[in-house]
Amino acid sequence: MANYGMAFDYKLCINCKACEVACKEENGIDLGASNHRLWISERFDNTQDFFELKQINFIQNQCQQCQDAPCIKACPNDAIYKDDNGIVRLYKDKCDLSLHCMSACPYDARYIDNKNKITDKCIFCADTRLSRGETTTACAITCPSKLRIFGDLDDPNSDISLTLKKRKYFQLKSNLNTKPKLFYLN
Amino acid sequence: MQIIETSRRKFLQSSVALCVYATSSFAKIPSITTKTSSNKQIKTIPYLCNMCRNKCAGFARIENNTITKLDPNHYFPKSKNMLCPKGNAGINAIYDKDRLKYPLIRIGNRGDGKYKRVTWDEANEYIKNKLVKILDKQKDNRSTIAYCNGEGFNKDEFIQFCKGKIGSNNFLDEGSICLNTKLGAEVLTLGDTTEPNLAGSDYIIISGANRYESLITPDSLDLLHNQNKKLVVLDPRATITALKADQFLPINPGTDLAFCLSMIFIAIKEELYNKKFVQEYFKDFDILKKEILQENYTAKWAESKTNIPAHKIEQITREFFSSSNPLYYLGRRSVWAKNDFQLRRSMVLINALAGSINRKGGLIFGKPFKIPKEEITEPFYNNTQDRFDLDGIVYGSKKGGSWLNFREQVINQTSPYPIKAMFIRKHNLMQNMPNINKTKKMLDMMDLVVVLDTMPSDTALMADVILPECTYLEREDLVVSFNRLEPSLALRNKVIEPLYESKSMQDILKGLGEKLSIPLFNISKKYDEELQDSIEELGEKKAFISGGYDLAELYKKNITTRNKELIIKNFGLKVYKNLKEKGVWYPYITEQKEIFNNYYTYYPENKKYYTIDKKFKVNCYLKKLSKNGFDGVPKWRDEYDFKVSKDSFRLITGRYVFSTQTATANNIMLKDIQKENHLWINRNEAKKLGIKEGDLVEVKSKISTIQIKAYPTNKIHPQVVWFAHGFGMQSKELSNAYNIGASDNMIIEDHFEKIYGCATMHHTNIIIRKI
Repeated sequence: MANYGMAFDYKLCINCKACEVACKEENGIDLGASNHRLWISERFDNTQDFFELKQINFIQNQCQQCQDAPCIKACPNDAIYKDDNGIVRLYKDKCDLSLHCMSACPYDARYIDNKNKITDKCIFCADTRLSRGETTTACAITCPSKLRIFGDLDDPNSDISLTLKKRKYFQLKSNLNTKPKLFYLN
Repeated sequence: MQIIETSRRKFLQSSVALCVYATSSFAKIPSITTKTSSNKQIKTIPYLCNMCRNKCAGFARIENNTITKLDPNHYFPKSKNMLCPKGNAGINAIYDKDRLKYPLIRIGNRGDGKYKRVTWDEANEYIKNKLVKILDKQKDNRSTIAYCNGEGFNKDEFIQFCKGKIGSNNFLDEGSICLNTKLGAEVLTLGDTTEPNLAGSDYIIISGANRYESLITPDSLDLLHNQNKKLVVLDPRATITALKADQFLPINPGTDLAFCLSMIFIAIKEELYNKKFVQEYFKDFDILKKEILQENYTAKWAESKTNIPAHKIEQITREFFSSSNPLYYLGRRSVWAKNDFQLRRSMVLINALAGSINRKGGLIFGKPFKIPKEEITEPFYNNTQDRFDLDGIVYGSKKGGSWLNFREQVINQTSPYPIKAMFIRKHNLMQNMPNINKTKKMLDMMDLVVVLDTMPSDTALMADVILPECTYLEREDLVVSFNRLEPSLALRNKVIEPLYESKSMQDILKGLGEKLSIPLFNISKKYDEELQDSIEELGEKKAFISGGYDLAELYKKNITTRNKELIIKNFGLKVYKNLKEKGVWYPYITEQKEIFNNYYTYYPENKKYYTIDKKFKVNCYLKKLSKNGFDGVPKWRDEYDFKVSKDSFRLITGRYVFSTQTATANNIMLKDIQKENHLWINRNEAKKLGIKEGDLVEVKSKISTIQIKAYPTNKIHPQVVWFAHGFGMQSKELSNAYNIGASDNMIIEDHFEKIYGCATMHHTNIIIRKI
């Protein structure tokens, strides 16, 4: 029993895409631009001239594991639930691709998994790595910067709890009160 | 609250999308990935990656005899518990449907891809018959066979076979299209090569390298994890490294030397240098001082060459020399401009002036583990002639030679004897050096071309015989020693049995050696008078054995036995067991600690080899260079000035973080990240030419023309264009890479500098036309 979350030391990201590939390989995600459980977006002032450029940053995007998840409420089939570790999951056989969850998600976290005929998203490797007792996600362990801090928010001594105590952070679209369990460190 | 766009759809449609994501052409492809299971009992095997030159360590997960996942190995001080995108995509290199599967003999014309499947014995027999004819005609001059091997494990063993056993002096490798000027600058200035200690530095200058997109372990990782540094990056293109730097200095291509000379000038003039270090270690400092001051390389002067404001050059020089552990990073793949040797030498001198040699944060000598070579008897071939590709080159690498000089002499038939056969291993000649048409011409002149590779590359399709080698996950390789600061041993274990009929290099050479030994001995017997004497004295059988003519001598034992004996003999049984179980060994492996979030420390701080007891001198003046008409002390020459005419651009090259030269060109997972390359052009210049994003443009140099889609951006110098190496393959057998994007070496002019004979990649001016 845990309450999993992830913090991102996002300024360390160099957009190498090791996380994307590791995620696809671990979780058997189909190739293709739209099939991603996680993706990286760019924060860059594009108006500047070459000789005046400012630093670039990258943001790691994926399911925000909202404590108040709009997708759970939106699903007409009650297919979406929170598992014992606080991860937002899906009963695959209850999903009929009504796509209400996709329109409800403010983070665009879900995509259509054509192979399994479901909407899919990041579940912190719950049915692969975590299910065999591992304590890291595929993206976190492979990251050259080790910028993804994954762990139990209820354990005061976990790396993520210690980090959130020490560092300032922000959350995505916090005005929507979805209470994400993903934190971006300043 | 910070507003951040999170939409994947918007992201995919944004301007970056063109350059980052594949289009829908892969939509038809069935699932390539295999989800890992929740089975806890699955075995994992430690291996070493081979997707690029780094050899990071990993564990492979095998389910139902299939590799389902590659994970990083936290025991390795070099790769520090990470795998990059290429490392993760290694699975797709093994299961690439286009892989070379069987031995093949050409039945069509070179390059058209028509081959017949043969047995290994038939392939070896074909090679034997051709070689016997060639060597008979060349009267046993073994150097008529040239052979090459790109970077990687087993290279030295391939040399041992082709030079040591077969007897050719013409070995070529990637050094002369890669980093020989840098290695040479270190050896000639300091007497040894070094390792940069980025983790221990508080002030780092990088020019001519892109460590966040061309990952080198541990350098890139040390740079990422060093939170106490100031990072300054000089580049004509806003790379990720540049855009992550504390200070990015856009620079004219090929003028980094002017920046360095000015740093040296300011350091001497303002006496910023480490006087104690200079007094103790410098040789001919007075000559350096006199000549640099005489040349008056002021910041103002350097501004006129580099386009970096003088006050910034002064500021950085002063900051650098007042830092406690400054480092001017030498780069790796380095030969960009014709002044490259002098540039790398200047970088070494700047580090030395700051005292950053053999100390924390500087260039360190360290203490690598030494693994003795296995001894075999090598025949002496009396009629074999010397290599010719270093003629006219001041130093050059005696080991790997000069590709462009070699090729030039072969195709112009100016070499002292003809080259009639080539053995090519792990080296994509048709794509790896400037002016592809010349490479084709060279290969067309051969009577025999043999290629050992895993993929049907452009070069493989020029072969008469293709010998399919297995990939890195299908073989054990000889134990390797890594690094100097935190030295370790690492072993590539076999993860799965070789697929199809592919074989390890050792098994290929065993078969070839057994087939060739006697027929080639008979050629020597016919022409080599010393061998004739030896036979007379000892008898034929004894002369054969004692002379070392058994070409397969090294392969009497398999690689597992060889490794076991070699490791136990030199390091003990415990080390061997460690290497088999963990893939890695170093003396403190049981004490390593996780600092935070899966990141570890390896050697205890006081055991790292920052400083070793070593006698060395910093050579300020190289007399041999002076004698040959070059500069004994680095200097600027007018010919180094950056010049492009009004309508043209300077072409520079480089690569993406998710590709390794051409080796990953067909990897479907990496192709999924980026399908093709694009021409980066400054958006203001593009506007003037009416070029919009995605427009097809023609790029024309003096030697050839390519077509490529344009990517107007503010991230590049107005007089410079760039596109990534590793695209535009011409082999139709590469179904994910054939004719997608463009190949830089089609249009890069084939110039080489004359100190190390290295190809200078950034001397091509091009013109662009919208199609």
